[in-house]
Amino acid sequence: MRFGNRTLARTWTAYAMILPAVLMIAAVAIWPLIRTFWISLYDLRLNDPERNQLNMSYSVNVEKYAESTALLLSLLKKEAAAAQGDRQSELSALADRLSRVNEELKEDAAFKKRLDDVNELLDNFQPVPAELQQIRLDRNKAVRMRQQLSDIKQSVQSLKDGGALSRPDDAIGLTNSVLQSFSVPNYVGFGHYQKLLSEPRLWDALKNTALFTAISVALEMLAGLLIALLINRTFRGRGLVRAAVLIPWATPTAVSAMIWHFLYDGQNGIVAKLLMEIGLVSDMSALLSTRTGALASVILADVWKTAPFVALLLLAGLQTIPSALYEAAQVDGASRFKQFFHITLPLLKPTLLVALLFRTLDAFRVFDLIYVLTGGGPANSTESITIYAYKTMFAELNFGAGSALSVIVFVCVLLISMAYVKLLGGETLSRRIR
Amino acid sequence: MNRQAGYSFYAATAIFVAAVMFPFVWIFLASVKAPAYLYGRYAFDVVVPEYTLDNYVSVFANHPFGRYLLNSFAVGLLTMTVTLGIASFASYAIARLHFPGKTLFLGVLLAISMFPQIATISPLFLFMQSAGLRNTYAGLVIPYTTYALPLAIWYMTTFFRNIPYELEEAAKMDGASALVVFYKVLVPLVSPGLFTTAIIVFVDAWHEFLFSLTINTKESMMTVPVGIAMFQGEFTFPWGEISAAAVTVTVPIIVLVLLFQRRIISGLTSGAVKE
Repeated sequence: MRFGNRTLARTWTAYAMILPAVLMIAAVAIWPLIRTFWISLYDLRLNDPERNQLNMSYSVNVEKYAESTALLLSLLKKEAAAAQGDRQSELSALADRLSRVNEELKEDAAFKKRLDDVNELLDNFQPVPAELQQIRLDRNKAVRMRQQLSDIKQSVQSLKDGGALSRPDDAIGLTNSVLQSFSVPNYVGFGHYQKLLSEPRLWDALKNTALFTAISVALEMLAGLLIALLINRTFRGRGLVRAAVLIPWATPTAVSAMIWHFLYDGQNGIVAKLLMEIGLVSDMSALLSTRTGALASVILADVWKTAPFVALLLLAGLQTIPSALYEAAQVDGASRFKQFFHITLPLLKPTLLVALLFRTLDAFRVFDLIYVLTGGGPANSTESITIYAYKTMFAELNFGAGSALSVIVFVCVLLISMAYVKLLGGETLSRRIR
Repeated sequence: MNRQAGYSFYAATAIFVAAVMFPFVWIFLASVKAPAYLYGRYAFDVVVPEYTLDNYVSVFANHPFGRYLLNSFAVGLLTMTVTLGIASFASYAIARLHFPGKTLFLGVLLAISMFPQIATISPLFLFMQSAGLRNTYAGLVIPYTTYALPLAIWYMTTFFRNIPYELEEAAKMDGASALVVFYKVLVPLVSPGLFTTAIIVFVDAWHEFLFSLTINTKESMMTVPVGIAMFQGEFTFPWGEISAAAVTVTVPIIVLVLLFQRRIISGLTSGAVKE
């Protein structure tokens, strides 16, 4: 009995100990992932006041509406009082029209009550709490009211153009505010995905990413294996070589990309000059300004940075192979070649596959290197899928489509990992995590 | 394997080390050449008529490079501390205690370590924006810690496992609770492992680019990688200054690597090789 309680207590201790990690991962990794998918279903644009929120339905920002309508109404009345003849009647007609819109909105009892509450707060110079800000509107009514308001905006614009207003910019600004207090639903379902999948830019970015991943990972694994085989022995200066292996790993990718940028420079890049002299590129500036040149540059810089790291992983794998196996093979007269294919490769396979998995996923997510080295250029020819997603979100401020692209990256990574898990067998991976 | 090293071996190794080190040597040279000799006739020469340290002065005087370094250090150290705190508890539980759901937790950790971070950037950016955490250290430490946790827990679980059970059993016989055993017996024993993990977590935070680029956009809050990327103008590259900045951030790393290479290598390879 006592033993049972003890076990239970230990289970709870264990849960308490993993709790901070679980909370952190749930809140900062898993929840945002779900949220990204959610955002990708909306047309969310940070630079467009009508679409900078996720709106399933039509609604009004009551505070903004109340303030700007009241100001616009009084401005129109003042302008009418100051104007003459036709202009005066036109302006008072506009003011009436705006009041009618306001009255019609207030026919909705919930809206009227909310508007009154908000007005009371505003009159007392009190802040309007967030939960009172937004109120839903019936779809038909919202469409009708917005139409009315756009008409009013057009009239104000033509009055302004005719020079009939004493404060034309205020009038236009306020009319815009009234219009913008209405939120339009921006739920688009799978619209972004449909659009993205039908455009060549996504497929080009996927092609670039796949090409980069395939070539650089293949070269890194090959170079890494050669280096590991080379330094898998005791020799003088071993510590120095190991430090040299670690230095590219320890340099920030953005910094090494900058360094390579200098080596590739069209005027004073020594690697560019070298490649020109052996005839690989026609002239130095062609390296970063043509598609093939830029892609090759990015791949070379990546191989330089990660092949030593792969070598490190493989070296650790090589060192677990018992030397007795090689001694026995030698006694049996097996050649070096045979030893490599019958002992080294099979025993190194799990390490090779794990390194391959992690390198593939890293290469597929490539961002810093391309961002600093080519910026995705020339003419998007080295644009990876992550760069495309970043530009959509942070250059165009189109978070909806950008999130959809991020989800596509996630799905690709998921597919790649699943393929590898199948290849590796669950056994190797679970041994890794157990 | 104890094959003897011959001349061809040393030649091949020398070529490899030279290939790895060449970019650093070349960028160091560029950083000390007087600006006039970076282009034209002397662009590819090692020996030029004039060397200077002006670029190093200029990096700190004309750019907030000192500030970038401070920010990177602060973010790296904070990330390291928070990550180690959270991960040491979790990895002890995994290494020593049995609880239902352990396999699921480990599976989630593995999945998070493979995660494309771009897939979380839009909601995190919007959250940091609305919570006022953009251009703060917390805005970077929160995501960095989260993405460092899987690796940190992974490494430290291995270290906890390597401690003999007998030590704990003895403490438990004396009536110590799981927490006391953890604090008084295990943490001191595992401190070399903690140290290795700390270095790797710090280096990862020092490298991070995407979150730093998007969340801390104010110049005074930028970290080193982003700061260096911002050195380039629209059409101009002040190569002398860029080289000096690159050398300045690389030197401490080389020192770190030379000092702790054994620990770093044992940490980095602990997951890849079965024991």
